[in-house]
Amino acid sequence: MKISLNWIKEYVNLDGISAEEIINKLTMCGLEVEDYNDQNKKYSGIIVGLVKEVQKHPDANKLTVCTVYDGNTDLQLVCGAPNVAQGQNIVLAPVGSIIPKGNMEMKKAKIRGVESFGMICAEDELELSDDHTGIMVLDNELSAGTPISEALKLNDVILEIAITPNRPDALSHIGVARDLSAIFNRELRIPKLDFQESQQDIKQLASVEIEDKINCPRYSAKVVTGLIIKESPEWLQNKLKKIGLRPINNVVDVTNLILHEIGQPLHAFDLDQLADKKIVVKSLTKELKFATLDSKQRALPQGTMMICDGNREVAIAGVMGGENSEVTESTKNILIESAYFNPTSIRKTLKKIQLSSDSSYRFERGTDPSNTVYAAQRAAQLIASIAGGEIAKGVIDEYPHKTKQKEIVLRLPRLKKLLGYEILKADVLRIFQKLGINLLKDMGEALEVIVPTSRPDIEREADLIEEVARIDGYDKIPVIEKVSITLHKRKDDFDLEDRIREILVGMGFNEMVNNPLIPKKNAELTGSAIEITNPQSQDMAYLRTSLLVSALPAISNNIKKGEKNLAVFEIGNSFNKLKDALSSFSDFNEKKKIILIITGKKLPRKWYAAEAEYDFFDLKGLVTAFLSKISLDNLLNDSYNSIQDKIYDYQFALSFNDSEFGSGGKLNQNVLKMFDITQPVYCFEGNLDIIQQISSQKRTFKELLKYPKIYRDFAFLFDKSINYASVKDFILREGGNILKYVELFDLFESKDIGEDKKSMAFNLEYYDFERTLTDEEVDTDFQMLINKVTKNFNAILRGK
Amino acid sequence: MQQSEVEGIKKDFLQEVERASSNLELEQVRIKYLGRNGIVTKLFDEFKSVSPEEKPLFGKLLNSLRNEATENFNNKKKFLESNKPSDLSDIDLTLPGKSFKLGTKHILNQTLFEIKSIFKGLGFSVYDGPELESDYYNFEALNFPHDHPARDMQDTFFVSDKFLLRTHTTPVQIRIMEKEQPPIRAIMPGRVYRNEAISSRSYCMFHQVDGIYVDTDVSFAELKGTLVSFAEQFYGAGLKYRFRPSFFPFTEPSAEMDITCFICKGKGCRVCKHSGWLEILGCGMVDPNVFRYVNYDSEKYTGYAFGMGIERIAMLKYGIDDIRTFFENDLRFLKQF
Repeated sequence: MKISLNWIKEYVNLDGISAEEIINKLTMCGLEVEDYNDQNKKYSGIIVGLVKEVQKHPDANKLTVCTVYDGNTDLQLVCGAPNVAQGQNIVLAPVGSIIPKGNMEMKKAKIRGVESFGMICAEDELELSDDHTGIMVLDNELSAGTPISEALKLNDVILEIAITPNRPDALSHIGVARDLSAIFNRELRIPKLDFQESQQDIKQLASVEIEDKINCPRYSAKVVTGLIIKESPEWLQNKLKKIGLRPINNVVDVTNLILHEIGQPLHAFDLDQLADKKIVVKSLTKELKFATLDSKQRALPQGTMMICDGNREVAIAGVMGGENSEVTESTKNILIESAYFNPTSIRKTLKKIQLSSDSSYRFERGTDPSNTVYAAQRAAQLIASIAGGEIAKGVIDEYPHKTKQKEIVLRLPRLKKLLGYEILKADVLRIFQKLGINLLKDMGEALEVIVPTSRPDIEREADLIEEVARIDGYDKIPVIEKVSITLHKRKDDFDLEDRIREILVGMGFNEMVNNPLIPKKNAELTGSAIEITNPQSQDMAYLRTSLLVSALPAISNNIKKGEKNLAVFEIGNSFNKLKDALSSFSDFNEKKKIILIITGKKLPRKWYAAEAEYDFFDLKGLVTAFLSKISLDNLLNDSYNSIQDKIYDYQFALSFNDSEFGSGGKLNQNVLKMFDITQPVYCFEGNLDIIQQISSQKRTFKELLKYPKIYRDFAFLFDKSINYASVKDFILREGGNILKYVELFDLFESKDIGEDKKSMAFNLEYYDFERTLTDEEVDTDFQMLINKVTKNFNAILRGK
Repeated sequence: MQQSEVEGIKKDFLQEVERASSNLELEQVRIKYLGRNGIVTKLFDEFKSVSPEEKPLFGKLLNSLRNEATENFNNKKKFLESNKPSDLSDIDLTLPGKSFKLGTKHILNQTLFEIKSIFKGLGFSVYDGPELESDYYNFEALNFPHDHPARDMQDTFFVSDKFLLRTHTTPVQIRIMEKEQPPIRAIMPGRVYRNEAISSRSYCMFHQVDGIYVDTDVSFAELKGTLVSFAEQFYGAGLKYRFRPSFFPFTEPSAEMDITCFICKGKGCRVCKHSGWLEILGCGMVDPNVFRYVNYDSEKYTGYAFGMGIERIAMLKYGIDDIRTFFENDLRFLKQF
């Protein structure tokens, strides 16, 4: 919201207080000044100049060489404007001044060989309008050298204030002035009414009837007759322009002025366009097409509150007037509407019709129901004074639902307890008085007060405490340096996640954070996706059903940018619906997951080693290593599937008891194609919630082995169909109880050993915790095992 | 041949190998024991004349002697060679070290972790909560009335009438208070979503840390003390700050905390919009209406709450000028931190 400081000063005397201090104090009382424009600074250095002489430029047809008096000396400058003439007072930007448009410093220049010591400005260069047809010609009374800010009364400071939704009372100049009067302890001056009324009673000219009394608790009106619609006087136009409004005509401009002065939205109807000279406030019983005064056809749903005349709708209540009754050049008689509408009702309408205005912005936050008559009268007074005409006698004021003023008790000890410091009762009372909060009863330690209707936000003691605190200043609240704390009783919910991150970073993985909002076709790849009812775009219309589908675009983009070798992970939530309509937490699930993705080269070319590509067994090894660091190794069962499915070419899965922890493998071509990826990608996705549930196995100390280990190796030729796991399990099972560990150390396939054969070589580890083993007993078991493997797998012992 | 004789020879051999300090000395030991006329070689000659009953015993002894002697000798030889000073000239020590790949934590999680650590030190426990949240927890119980403009402060993604993507991590406060009785001292980090136009300054999702403290005598002064302590730990001691009134439906009074812009030191720059101040968090005293929703007695208990955005903090701290960078996951970005 734009606020003019000069305008504010009409209501509160701020003499002796700098603009900087006012801005700072406003921010510190909760009316945050987001930006400001100090015209004094903006126009500093630019002055009134007198054109003493105009001559043709010797080298250019369209240019003139002028002698301009700056109040002190004569300057020569080159001018291109067609309207420059001797004897004019003009706007002079001498060398060294800053031209507001473009924020450029004026420099001495040579134009077609003639020196120029400044510029004569047009309106656009001062950012007063877009006009650049000619230079500005000023009043002849002005004397050369006068600062332009003074000459044009451009000495204002325009503030851009962010008003929080709880402060509708501050959405006007008087509203802001009220806070300033409290902060600086100065008197607030509300403009007094002073107007003449005609003999004609308003009741004979118009009537108001409220059908929807709940949503329109008050409707006040004044009538002005015999006026002439024309342009507003300059002072009014300037006032509106300064705060960014476009002047329209004298009646509309006054209603806008009142809105920004008092905060009460007004609407002026052409009284002669109102059938039966009658206003009826009622809600639509069926849908309606309605032309608003911005010349747009709008479809209004049933239930929209409307202002009607004797037989049709003439305005959307509190939002915008209709084309059919707006004030035009030929309007003679007007009815000024000044109403209070229920904020909830207005807000519902705005949501439905997707329209808002300066008026509706205030109504939906809550205007002051006590202000309607005053605002209508002040508008009538101003209109009559600038547009002529007569103010009809009396006021229409339908007020079926009187707003009650709230009575609240503030306990001073509570104030001290909540804020942590004491504010003197006298100061509290002074702040209340300045804010219009009146004392009803002083009970010593407690004050009973009555809150003005302009403050719908003040409802409870806590709200009064905030009022006192913000005016007294939050910087007065002490900063305590000693606090008592509650001792932790639980582990950090993110403990596991944090540990996992550290482990994976140590393993060389980079962490990603991907957007869970993704397109439908991606989301549906891995589950039943939940749709966003009001998405920003179709690209972000569904929630991810797995981490995979939200991560693959990032993989694809990295590869395209040349980062082809990736080991990345993410921890995040994925969402799946269990029912079509989501009406309870059991209708969907949200699971915390982890994903590991590897692709490209594990080891790029190096001077000491050959390059190597990531493969399925890298993935398996990384997953195993990672699980061992969170003590989950040996707890999970693995299973394998080499049949292609929707996601994987082949995969492995890990489960605990009956719940699957996760699965991973080589992504299939269709998935890769969807994301425009052309290199193999391996990934594993697991469910962290399941890990949280398995209380990790406790690591307990194991006695260190005191006796030596004995190793034996063997290699066998197997049929190709025999898999490693079955051989390993067999060896461990049948190898005797002193065989503790077996490791595959060589795998070999070649034509030389037969196309349907493979060689697997194992290293066996024998030991006993109680004694030293002898070579003989190891040899005995080893030989027996060789025989069993040979027989069981129909294998052939190699070498030896 | 005596058993003690064989063991004596073994002992002498091992000692002499140990004492040898050069290749030459070691070679002399080898010749002495393992050479064609060496002591050990001779023992094997003598073995031929041992009686058949004693053969197994001496066979084992001699084998073990020869194996151990050879192994010791080889080890010593390797050791001496690796220490040979003349060999250094053959190695190009300037070759690059063999690479060892370390990963990176996402900078948002690093920032979050840092913030979390500070609050844990101040006695706050850490809680998680769902991202797909109900209207009740996200708005209603936090005193956002239906059809109130306050709801416009947080543009919301809905998935049904009653469910939405949480717009802040504040609903976790309600979840904690529903389950536990005061004192409550907790922070709740997490991901949140806003239906805002995507630009360099705003994204459809981001991360927050919310905090709450409820007990019998919690004051605004304590809130200020705690947050100033946090800011000094995170941004550096002695920083300038200010608390100014603001509005959040779930706190009353409400405030925003600004610190002096650390980019321009308060002189005014593009980042602080020429105000010299940077807003870092919102806070306030827990609104009595919120206590009513969780059945806490607001006469008995008071509390404070606060919340901050992680992206904003990380952007300021690391000079990242586009919020979208966090979520593009360009490896060149990820690897920088």
